[in-house]
Amino acid sequence: MLAGIERIDEVEWEVPIGYVPGMRVPGRFYLSGDLAGTLETEAVQQLANVAVLPGIVRYALAMPDIHSGYGFPIGGVAAFEQDTGIISPGGVGYDINCGVRLIATPLTPADITNPRALIEALFTTVPTGVGAESEMRISRHDLEEIMIEGVDWAVAAGYGTEQDTVHCEEGGKMPGADVVPVSKKARQRGMPQAGTLGSGNHFLEIQAVDAVFDDDAARTFGLHPGQVCFMVHCGSRGLGHQICTDHLRTLESATRRYGLEIPDRQLACAPVHSPEGEAYFGAMAAAANYAWVNRQVITHQVRTVLNRMYGIAHEEMPLVYDVAHNVAKMETHVVEKGRRTLCVHRKGATRAFGPGCPEVPQDYRSVGQPVIIPGSMGSASYVLRGTKTAMEKTFGSTCHGAGRVMSRTKAKNATAGSDVRKDLLKRGIVVRATSDASIAEEAPDAYKESDKVVDVVRRAGLSLPVVRLRPIGVIKG
Amino acid sequence: MPFEELPHQADVRVRVTAGSCDGLFAEAARAMFAVMYVTCGRGELERSLSVNAPDMPGLLVDFLSELLFISEVERVVFSSFRVEVTGTSLEAVACGEPFSPEKHRGGMEIKGVSYSGLRIFRDGELFCSEILFDV
Repeated sequence: MLAGIERIDEVEWEVPIGYVPGMRVPGRFYLSGDLAGTLETEAVQQLANVAVLPGIVRYALAMPDIHSGYGFPIGGVAAFEQDTGIISPGGVGYDINCGVRLIATPLTPADITNPRALIEALFTTVPTGVGAESEMRISRHDLEEIMIEGVDWAVAAGYGTEQDTVHCEEGGKMPGADVVPVSKKARQRGMPQAGTLGSGNHFLEIQAVDAVFDDDAARTFGLHPGQVCFMVHCGSRGLGHQICTDHLRTLESATRRYGLEIPDRQLACAPVHSPEGEAYFGAMAAAANYAWVNRQVITHQVRTVLNRMYGIAHEEMPLVYDVAHNVAKMETHVVEKGRRTLCVHRKGATRAFGPGCPEVPQDYRSVGQPVIIPGSMGSASYVLRGTKTAMEKTFGSTCHGAGRVMSRTKAKNATAGSDVRKDLLKRGIVVRATSDASIAEEAPDAYKESDKVVDVVRRAGLSLPVVRLRPIGVIKG
Repeated sequence: MPFEELPHQADVRVRVTAGSCDGLFAEAARAMFAVMYVTCGRGELERSLSVNAPDMPGLLVDFLSELLFISEVERVVFSSFRVEVTGTSLEAVACGEPFSPEKHRGGMEIKGVSYSGLRIFRDGELFCSEILFDV
């Protein structure tokens, strides 16, 4: 383990006050001994920087997929008091509400006799990669409705079912969304991109449930062995990127005006209930709603292809759940001072609310919120469930994915994309992308093993495995 | 070497060098588009822009962010740049070609230009910068 870090228990570590000047609370992160070698000094420094921010409650936290980002580390979680604390785009990121959802089907792998044909049909239907535009034409008024209503807009427009809204975090509609602080530039970028996958680590994957760890929870989530599912990973596209860029500039001057000391300019911030803080929150919530609509429209595209190819009705392909990875939200948590509404930032982390929480949909409430953990391309993904321990230790948060261990350039130099594609095909996984280079960047070796990351959150009690899903086909953004 | 990619696990960090401040900004823009697109042809299309910021790091971030915006909404892939920096303002002309799915698809989208680790400094006669792009 890196110097200056103290062990709390088997998988929990502390970055003590004093690691960087001005820390108000310690940092805490979760990592197993065998993943310790993946930890970067820069990521720990970024975690310590978060602990400097005013109004932070208890700890600056990071999940086992911690790695270096900008502002917060990836895997970072921090909660701030409403009256003395701040809100910062550095704790959310450019891709606001980048997230992941899982759609179940009644199919088994044996039903997919020609996976390549299915992948091709999906690839030609879902706009993918840099510069791809949506075929959906929306008016300026529609865009405003999307930003305010979220998935409710999509369902009313014929892109989903009522049940889809129930199975999204926040019901697919962040309260407090405000279109006024969304710039004309952000709107211009958002208009042509609703229903597009994007690039980088975004993907659409066909998977099959290959292991069940918790029969009761799996049944509750509507999952069973051998079932084919679809996973969608994408975010708020150019609209969210522009909102982050715009508000970072505004919040920079606010940081100076309110006399806030920050260790990294990317952590520009303002008091939660200042005009600048509220403007950012409103615009960020609008982008979060746009991201949910984006994933909902892609879901509709997937269901339409499956309906055409296999004759199954849209209603037979329920949304299991949809989680946000990059977001700040007002949430009520029990802390030392009792029940408090806090501004919880999660950047590359997943909400993992435990059994009984009113925020968890009623049909899942007895077992806890589904947590969807995508694996790297070609490795297993997981559905976990939230726990009471997560509520007590991490403001109801857990990891969000495998976490990179190799730069994109190194990955591209290590193996040719075509070789990665062929290797995966030998393992029965069809990969389709706009270029082989983008396949190489996301090669399985570039990531921590998802099994190890999931094992850490299990051992820490932050979430518990329900099912594992193996990939059959991948559309890489 | 006008720009090189530095190790970074998740995102893309580049080091850019040039013989002048104007050149540094132009090279930073060229690096950004080289990261985004597999092929950047020398196009005839020209686009002028002006940017003002409170300081030099802010000027670089705002300049690159403005180019990202123009490139996306006007669907242009830029490949060469003329920049004139005066204080913390600049005037620039970006040259490129229309985005073509056949030619340009397969690149990597840049979501934002980060302040984290952003440096602008002199190394002898050279102007240098290190920039982290969120991809």
